[in-house]
Amino acid sequence: MTRRLILWLTGAATAFWLIAAGLGVSVMHDEFGEIFDGSLQETAERLVPLIVDEMDRRQGEAYPRRDQTDDAGEEYLVYQVRNAGGELLFRSHDAPEAPFDVPLKRGFFTDDTYRFFTASSPGDKIFVQVADALENRSEALNEGSLALFLPVLVLIPVSVLLIRQIVRRTLAPVDDLREAIEEKDGGNMAPVASDMLPRELRPIARSVNHLLVRLQSAFDAEREFTANSAHELRTPIAGALAQTQMLIAELDGPGRRRAQQIEASLINLRHTTEKLLQLARAEAGIGGGAESVDLARVLELVVTDFKRSTPQPDRLQLHREDGAALVGTYSEDAFAIVLRNLIENALLHGRRDEPVNIRLEQGGVVRIVNGAVPLSADEMAVIRRRFGRGSTVASGSGLGLSIAERLLQQMNVGFEVLSPATGRADGFEVVLRFGAAAS
Amino acid sequence: MRILLVEDNEILGEAVRDHVAAQDHAVDWMTTLEDARASLRAVSYGLILLDLRLPDGIGIALLKELRASGNATPVIILTAHDQISDRIEGLNSGADDYLVKPFDLGELSARMLAVLRRTGGNVSPVIRLADLKISQADRRVFLGEEEVSLSGREWAVLDTLLARPGAIISKAQIEEALYAFGSEIESNTVEVYVSRLRKKLGRDHVATVRGVGYKIGAPA
Repeated sequence: MTRRLILWLTGAATAFWLIAAGLGVSVMHDEFGEIFDGSLQETAERLVPLIVDEMDRRQGEAYPRRDQTDDAGEEYLVYQVRNAGGELLFRSHDAPEAPFDVPLKRGFFTDDTYRFFTASSPGDKIFVQVADALENRSEALNEGSLALFLPVLVLIPVSVLLIRQIVRRTLAPVDDLREAIEEKDGGNMAPVASDMLPRELRPIARSVNHLLVRLQSAFDAEREFTANSAHELRTPIAGALAQTQMLIAELDGPGRRRAQQIEASLINLRHTTEKLLQLARAEAGIGGGAESVDLARVLELVVTDFKRSTPQPDRLQLHREDGAALVGTYSEDAFAIVLRNLIENALLHGRRDEPVNIRLEQGGVVRIVNGAVPLSADEMAVIRRRFGRGSTVASGSGLGLSIAERLLQQMNVGFEVLSPATGRADGFEVVLRFGAAAS
Repeated sequence: MRILLVEDNEILGEAVRDHVAAQDHAVDWMTTLEDARASLRAVSYGLILLDLRLPDGIGIALLKELRASGNATPVIILTAHDQISDRIEGLNSGADDYLVKPFDLGELSARMLAVLRRTGGNVSPVIRLADLKISQADRRVFLGEEEVSLSGREWAVLDTLLARPGAIISKAQIEEALYAFGSEIESNTVEVYVSRLRKKLGRDHVATVRGVGYKIGAPA
């Protein structure tokens, strides 16, 4: 919009300048014509009595056919004195030797080269014809026009710069408002500041704020619903699982085996519920963060959780580079879900006899590397799809990677999957890039 | 050990109560915060298992009240809230551990044991006291190389003393641990079981602090 406004205003201003200058030239042309004609007529009329007196004074004397008095310089006006028969009696020194091809009639006449004025003595015995070269008039008009257009040519770029500056300054609040609205996402629903905005923009800011409040309510309701669903789903499963485990402890024989099958089903149900709740949260857009948090602590907590629940706690190795940190406006919950899925995948699908290395590096980079046969490009594409499970034989929902990817998109965190892993001929590596701002 | 369970879901609460009681702990099961507060005013517990979403409020409020009043009883939160922010809030409010539903009862036992070891100042799964070696996970006791067999009540007394090795445990606290067995507690019940423990483990391991209670030596 700024660019278009600048272009239109500059174009309009330039057009106005040019039209004004053109009109000026046109007026100047007319006025110059009047002035030159006036001078021509005045000169002719003044010359008539002088020449008549001079001729009377020299009566009978040989009369010079050419004026000898003003041959010092080039004449601007030339004249010829002719009798009623058209014979040339006298001429100024620059005037042509042949009589002008102009009728002996009082008034103006124009040919291709001159503008004439013919004046006559009383009785029309003597005719004085004064001529003004049209070339002189054109030159005057051209110089005058140039004097008008030259400043315009300088003023156009100056006015472009001025218009650009004025437009930018005037539209700066619009840019500020646009940027403030652009910053809004699932994690930042703070109202747009409207106090500093011009009066015309305040209703827009108010409308945006109203919309943000409604959006926040919708997000809250969705998250609340997800949280309630989590509670409503988990608690009965927890009760059923605990009762089943008590039953297993109390039973012997076939009854115990059946109870164990129920327990296995409940554990599967627990896992599926977990994944679906995570997916629901990812779809509800929990990735945005409202305040600055320390994700390194979340990383340590999640790794500790896995160490406590996995039968091979030493398989998980967390390395934190000296000075590496992960602080920023992110969602701790989203990051924890991402980590749980990625670490679970690494433990489940990685080689059991190789460690799962989790590295927090400087520059806001998290790497999760596990041992694995290198994956082909096709397999890499499959595992990134929802319910895509590649060629693994390990149990899994096929949702983990897509949940992680969805949340990382919401968090604006770079996500790469590599196989083979960096610096190795095999293995699988996931890289999360938070950027230097988080480190 | 006497344990307070605060859980409003009857099916889960019953299973957890029975499971914990089967570990020779005395369990008081409350379903509301109000009842839990009343129990805490009346009894000194060795551990609290606390649900967060209860009919009359949020468990975190009770936890904060406890810590604000200087009560350091270990607390394990049992909740369906699995979000890490809830967990961080719980830990910041003074919880010792956080277990997300649905959980395995075996994992609950392991977490209880770990918390009790940690809060008792003993981080090793095997406690060594001079020539005594006690494995709390599988509840086995060795005197030198020889395994000592303890009854449920004797284990309950030893477990209560082991919760804080080197610290004085009052007679009332040991009595509360013995409530799990449902029988009447006579005025000399504690003395009887302490005496039996001394016979099996040796006289020097359990010391009497006259008029105050008993203590077991700090671990080696």
